[in-house]
Amino acid sequence: MMNKLYKKLILAFFAVFFLGILGLLTIDKATQSRINNLPTINQIPSFELTNFDGNLFSEKNLEGKITVASFIFTQCEGACPIMSSNMALLQNRFSSSSDLQFISITTDPDYDSKEVLKQFSNKYSTNDNWFFLRGQIEDVVKLSEDGFFLSASLLPIGHSTRLVLIDKDKNIRKYYEGTVDANILELQNDIVTLINKG
Amino acid sequence: MNKQLFFKSAVVSTILSYLLIFAGGLVRVSGSGLGCPDWPKCFGRWTPPTNIEQIPSYIDPTSFNIVLAWIEYSNRTLGVLVGLSIVVLNIIAIYYFRKENKLFYSALFSLILVVANGALGAVVVSSVLNPFLVSLHMILALMLVSVLSYACIESYKLLKPHKLKTRLADKTLLRSLIVFWILIIIEILLGTGIRTNIELVAVENPLMSKGDILNALNSYKYFHSILGFSLLFLSIYIFIKLKKYNQTFIKFLAGFILAMICIQIFLGEMMIFFELPQLTRLFHTWGSSWLVGIVIILYNCINDEQVI
Repeated sequence: MMNKLYKKLILAFFAVFFLGILGLLTIDKATQSRINNLPTINQIPSFELTNFDGNLFSEKNLEGKITVASFIFTQCEGACPIMSSNMALLQNRFSSSSDLQFISITTDPDYDSKEVLKQFSNKYSTNDNWFFLRGQIEDVVKLSEDGFFLSASLLPIGHSTRLVLIDKDKNIRKYYEGTVDANILELQNDIVTLINKG
Repeated sequence: MNKQLFFKSAVVSTILSYLLIFAGGLVRVSGSGLGCPDWPKCFGRWTPPTNIEQIPSYIDPTSFNIVLAWIEYSNRTLGVLVGLSIVVLNIIAIYYFRKENKLFYSALFSLILVVANGALGAVVVSSVLNPFLVSLHMILALMLVSVLSYACIESYKLLKPHKLKTRLADKTLLRSLIVFWILIIIEILLGTGIRTNIELVAVENPLMSKGDILNALNSYKYFHSILGFSLLFLSIYIFIKLKKYNQTFIKFLAGFILAMICIQIFLGEMMIFFELPQLTRLFHTWGSSWLVGIVIILYNCINDEQVI
């Protein structure tokens, strides 16, 4: 009886040891995979747009900051309010970080004047790290399609509903469906990964 | 023969369920809960995709991470295996033990629990890992191993009626085991509450360190530590009381409980001092699930019906 018990104890020892190692490797692999899962997709080309306060915003403003970007227009009633609310949520949650900024580019510059964008900004943004940008419609289409690889047909409504994560070296790292909660959580985790990486 | 079959089937289901709790814990601590964004399939497939081209067009590939997908998938696969093993247990119960209420109803109840928890798994995924639902998912799993442990020990008693016969069971000891089990459940609920709150705070404050979050929680978190230390003395009491029993198995269980309480206190303290390392969290949760099942087995080993 005692002998059998000892055998079982030895077996238990190996089982726990094996599971411990398995757990350790799995956790390690999961952590590593989060970094590997953010490949460098493409660098944002040069562009020039104007913020609602009249200041110029170009690709140089992306340097040294982690940026979350979206294409929206203020009269949009479908996805844009959800996307903007989600960006506002992230802006709040990361309010303690100076590494992060947000840009929303209007696909309806005819209607979205600086004043309109300012009003829109007041509705969603609670900090000065969210830029609402406008420019010539041709420039916006070009930037969306050739810079961000996001479709931009039948504007203003045909803009992409994806949010784009851009690293401190102006590289696109990943796209997220801006209206899906699970993807926003994913984006949040990826921002943490990039911030922790430095 | 049939008793043997039921007993073995119950043991297999129990062991698989414990492995399932381990896998589920691994999913939680590694943050793989959304590794598969859909349910029951994973990215529209019965096995996770191995590259991004395999993802169907109607699913957004954003969250595709092959490692996280396979961690989540292993939890689901193990869940299916547990489900199948419990179906086998129920078939045996229906065929041979319809009149044995303890075996029949424990098998049936475990089937209800495993199906309910599988369905809850789907809700957990669609809720984007609501911490309350994740905790409920674990609590149902603890209920499952409790019922299965009960099925194991009751079928063992039928199988070998003389093996566990003890001297006159001590009423106080039996009562203290019941109290001990209830306190462990309360202790687990307190621990789950802490975990739930940490996750709720962490999602709102993604840059806050786990240690800071723990400090920010209400002082009710100390109840978990206080009760943990109190349980140590209760387990020493049970251990000493059971020393006079001559069955090695019963003594072993008593020793196991005492050792497990010590390990749990040690792991709990480690978590406070080292900012909740993931592997420690995993074993802390898993260890608590063992306590729940082992106390049930111990109680039923020495309860009244076994008295000569």
